[in-house]
Amino acid sequence: MPKKDPVIFFIGWNACINCGACVAICPQDAGFISPFDTIAVDRPCDIACLLCEDICPVSTITHKPA
Amino acid sequence: MPTPSYDLVIIGSGPAGSTTARFAARQGLKVLLVDKRQELGAPIQCSGAVSRHALEEVGVTPDAEFIHEPIYGFGIYNEKGDRTVIDYRRLKADEYGPGEGQKPLGYVVDRRRFDRYLMTQAERAGTEVWLKTEGLSYRPNGDGGCEVFLRRFNQDITVKARVLVGADGLQSQVGKWAGLRTHIKITELASCLQFIVDQVETEGLLEIITGHEWAPGGYAWVFPKGHGYAEIGLGVIPTMTDKNAQWHLDRFIRHSFFEERFKNSRILEIQGGGVPLASPLRTQYADNLILVGDAARHVNPITGGGIHTALSGGNIAGNFLADFLNQDKPPTAQNLEGYQNRWLEELGNKMWKLYDVKTEIFRKNDIRERDALLYQTMASYFSPHSEFKKI
Repeated sequence: MPKKDPVIFFIGWNACINCGACVAICPQDAGFISPFDTIAVDRPCDIACLLCEDICPVSTITHKPA
Repeated sequence: MPTPSYDLVIIGSGPAGSTTARFAARQGLKVLLVDKRQELGAPIQCSGAVSRHALEEVGVTPDAEFIHEPIYGFGIYNEKGDRTVIDYRRLKADEYGPGEGQKPLGYVVDRRRFDRYLMTQAERAGTEVWLKTEGLSYRPNGDGGCEVFLRRFNQDITVKARVLVGADGLQSQVGKWAGLRTHIKITELASCLQFIVDQVETEGLLEIITGHEWAPGGYAWVFPKGHGYAEIGLGVIPTMTDKNAQWHLDRFIRHSFFEERFKNSRILEIQGGGVPLASPLRTQYADNLILVGDAARHVNPITGGGIHTALSGGNIAGNFLADFLNQDKPPTAQNLEGYQNRWLEELGNKMWKLYDVKTEIFRKNDIRERDALLYQTMASYFSPHSEFKKI
């Protein structure tokens, strides 16, 4: 599989229900989290599988190139 | 200051963590239970249904402090709205009901109050509890123990433990610290959303609505929530739909065969989460470490129910660790495998069987065939004759 370009996630906090589903599906190593029970938004994600965007019940996760 | 030392440090005070703590402390272990939250149970990620049997089995007396409403049975619907009712008030009228000498089949609990109640019971059994305390990492130190690095109200604290218990839920970081294979497939994690609503009638039954039409890969539910409230929710598998759970829930409320029933509903709370419809973790232990509850994926893969399995798993873990450490055995991965073996024997093997049943259903490509099989499986799952009724 070709390596994907790293991304930075953006979370629309207004819709986020702090359910943690994004962290549950995330294949990153331990610690790729924010203080609000979501995936990290302060550093690039080099896996860029985007599963967190798929699992979010309210579709409030988006990304841009890192 | 010398490093504080415990037999067990448990990260996460949900039903699994606090039950592990209670049974271990009761047998004399020195237990520290930590949770990063300021209020347990919140944000709620769960519908809160639990059988009476599951509570009694672990010595929890049903208490008005945490019960929203008693439950007497099930209503299972197919995609068209035809239903199978399994009402224990009719099936076993002398035993089940609201009257004197009768009892409920189960309850819908308030997870905030329930989790706090369980933590209190653990504390009364001798557990030390720290809230606003996050687990950061751990390090086995070769002398039979490990160091656990915590942060409590912004202060970094190191404690020693003989065994670290990861009870930190589906988002478990503890399992990752130990390098366990905790990763869940996107095809096996349901994206769930539920509303607590006013103005929806219920009848003491847990209602489960099957069908790809309403909840692709999962099911929808209507549960009584006490005080005349209800809970309407659903879970979907993201790979089986290009819409999110919110879209499906909105459609279920406004355009399903329950359109009329839901038309005056008013939303009081919004909750959600990921619910694993997966197998248990294949390895739930490492040197100086075990996992319990959602962190070990002790979740029923058919119903997505996790309270009973968390309580039972906590019971098994707490008692196993107490027996084990009271004999001064070194908590190596090899020795801690005994915990997983005991768990498999008492509960896990049945969950693996349920996982096979679930996999068989969702392997069907034909939607009508799959819908029929899911409906039929759910209806028989909750029948009094089901071999799985105690999970």
